[in-house]
Amino acid sequence: MMKKSMKKLFALLLASALILSVFAGCSGKSTENSADPANSPAGGNEEQSQAPAPANEKPIKIGVLVADVSGEEALGFRNYYENYIAKNYNVELLYTEQLTDAAGERSAIERFAAQGCQAIISFSSSDRAMQVETCAQNKLFYAVASGMLDDEQYETYKTNEWFVGQVGPSMETEFEAGYAMGKYFADKGAKTIAMYGAFIPNPMHVYRAAGVIAGMGATYGGASDMGAIVGQIFGDQGVDPSKVSGGSVELVSYFQGYGETTTDELNAAIQAQPDAFLSVGMATTFFTQQLNTAGIEFSDIDSFTSGNQAAMTDGKLVYLAGKYSSSIGPIFAAVVDAVNGNPIRGEGGTAISVSQSYLVATDTASFDKYYSADQGDSPIYNKELLDTMIGDSVTYADFQAFVEADRS
Amino acid sequence: MKAAEKSLQQSYRLRQLLIHLMPLAALAILLAALCWAVTSKGYRLDIYLNIVFNEAVVLAVVATGAVFIYTLGSFDISLGASTLFSATLGVMTYNATQSLPLMLLVILVTAIGCSLLSSLLASVFHIPVFVTTVAMMSVLSAIAAQIITKNGGALGGISIPSDLLRPLDTPWFKVVILAAFVALSIFIFSFTKVGRRQKFLGGNPVCAQLTGIDLNRYTIIAFVMAGLGVGLGAFLTLIYTPSVTTGTASSIGMNIIVAIVFGGMPISGGPNSKIYSALVGGFSYILLNNTLKILIDGNTGYGVSQIVSAIFFLAVVYVTSINYRTKLLPR
Repeated sequence: MMKKSMKKLFALLLASALILSVFAGCSGKSTENSADPANSPAGGNEEQSQAPAPANEKPIKIGVLVADVSGEEALGFRNYYENYIAKNYNVELLYTEQLTDAAGERSAIERFAAQGCQAIISFSSSDRAMQVETCAQNKLFYAVASGMLDDEQYETYKTNEWFVGQVGPSMETEFEAGYAMGKYFADKGAKTIAMYGAFIPNPMHVYRAAGVIAGMGATYGGASDMGAIVGQIFGDQGVDPSKVSGGSVELVSYFQGYGETTTDELNAAIQAQPDAFLSVGMATTFFTQQLNTAGIEFSDIDSFTSGNQAAMTDGKLVYLAGKYSSSIGPIFAAVVDAVNGNPIRGEGGTAISVSQSYLVATDTASFDKYYSADQGDSPIYNKELLDTMIGDSVTYADFQAFVEADRS
Repeated sequence: MKAAEKSLQQSYRLRQLLIHLMPLAALAILLAALCWAVTSKGYRLDIYLNIVFNEAVVLAVVATGAVFIYTLGSFDISLGASTLFSATLGVMTYNATQSLPLMLLVILVTAIGCSLLSSLLASVFHIPVFVTTVAMMSVLSAIAAQIITKNGGALGGISIPSDLLRPLDTPWFKVVILAAFVALSIFIFSFTKVGRRQKFLGGNPVCAQLTGIDLNRYTIIAFVMAGLGVGLGAFLTLIYTPSVTTGTASSIGMNIIVAIVFGGMPISGGPNSKIYSALVGGFSYILLNNTLKILIDGNTGYGVSQIVSAIFFLAVVYVTSINYRTKLLPR
């Protein structure tokens, strides 16, 4: 009996050891590539090996903190870094798995430090102050892509030598994006709207929803300014339609989140027969088919993707405020400068802080202009453009003008 | 005849020794595997060991308290939510009073209170404890989320000043907390009647109650110890990162189950329960996770390390269950 059990035990241990060996073997290939620049000038995978870098030059190693691993926008960003940036620059990009909390972010930064990274680009926002501090402790340059620290945090860390900077929509920009969308439909003559609050209390969605309400010309709980509306939405953990009043547009239906009740809530919104369905995020991912079938015009704040192109061309998507995938190019250039010893600093040695606005498409022509201009091998922020921001003579003003320039 | 019996006894003892040593051997192997993986890649071992320690210490502390509940043959799925809730109230308390001792007190009292509430609800309504913990998980997560989002605003989280607990963010302080709690747990579990009776209740509750052992009393003790572990875990979490978001400690609840199994203790509890399972299992699980993250290229795809980790989990459950599929009563 015992012999039989022991046999099973050893068989299992052997099997486990074999599995471990297989993975060790697989990873060995990438280890060789990463460790020996002569084998792979650009880093650890086949795509990176095509980079036109001198064989004896070590690639810049950058860790990327990721919180969203499945959204269209997040996948677009990753695709740009992996398939364009890594091909065209002598850089090795390492990614985290999905980060859900501050402890995960800190561990990830420390892991990247242990792996010899020189900089961190963050798409994760559980605790950005802690991220800056952990990077500084580990002597890693730190940059925020597609987002921003709040004003108080920026003031605290703006002179930290390891904080490269931040480029992305500020919360005010999120509010303005929602405002423009609400105003668009109010100006268009919509009398009734349904609204999808996405993942409120996610701050980004809260600010956008507040903007939509203000853009409709309505008040929320009697308030009409950004701070007061936002504060109430945080308090309510959502938008309470009974608190929306004034203006010429009536909010006839509201729901948020995605779960078991979502289909029923969407059907209820459709049955209310609104003139338009306004979403502050993710509607194009979740509801495009149903809204097209119902024949209800809808809008979203998302990104310029093929799915959204189809929804605008053949469906009822009539307004899209979005980012394009290569909008994260400038912060990459700033990080390269910092690693190369040419940090871009503002007056008094402050870190970069440039807000990036959304582009708005209201018809197929404007959508195609942004979409087709930012494809695979020819992104809007291509190597030719980015190279103008990499060097020892780039000033803060140059960089700000570069980001704020109209690329449409 | 006697010689044969002696040989059988020796063989049984050897087998038991091997089974008891297996988790420790696995821990040593996993540590060696991590060191090999890190050095072969040219990474910095000191930082990796620090990461493993910081991740494992919270899991080990919370899991050590949870062993008391698992021993009874029950389990508490709300421990992660309870950690989040305790840390949330702790942060709110500090921000309102600027008092560190009061913050610590609130964290511990909240954690123990939440744990006790679960067991009391189960006693009052005569429903299995794990059912009440499922409800508690939802309630605590929702309340914590409400507090965090309402007070965190655009930051999406609440925090205490980052330099407040930084002096405590040292391995030595964490070792002291872990060692003290493990020592207390071992004392209660192995040197008082509490542990023995809890094992009896977990192994055969009907028989145990017929001998006069009060199930409710030992359930409450178990939940108090689990609550203490949760409170210390929440405090250690705040030492590591001074902020709390809705995702804080979200994975602890499930990781505890894995850690306890990795440590060689049956999920069904009973006489084979051991305090050190949580300690050994907690560190083993984190070592395995980190080794897999190194060996499996992070750029190959999301979730691969979790899948491999799950395969290992099933293998470990199978190996450890060999010991329980015996017709003999445990001795």
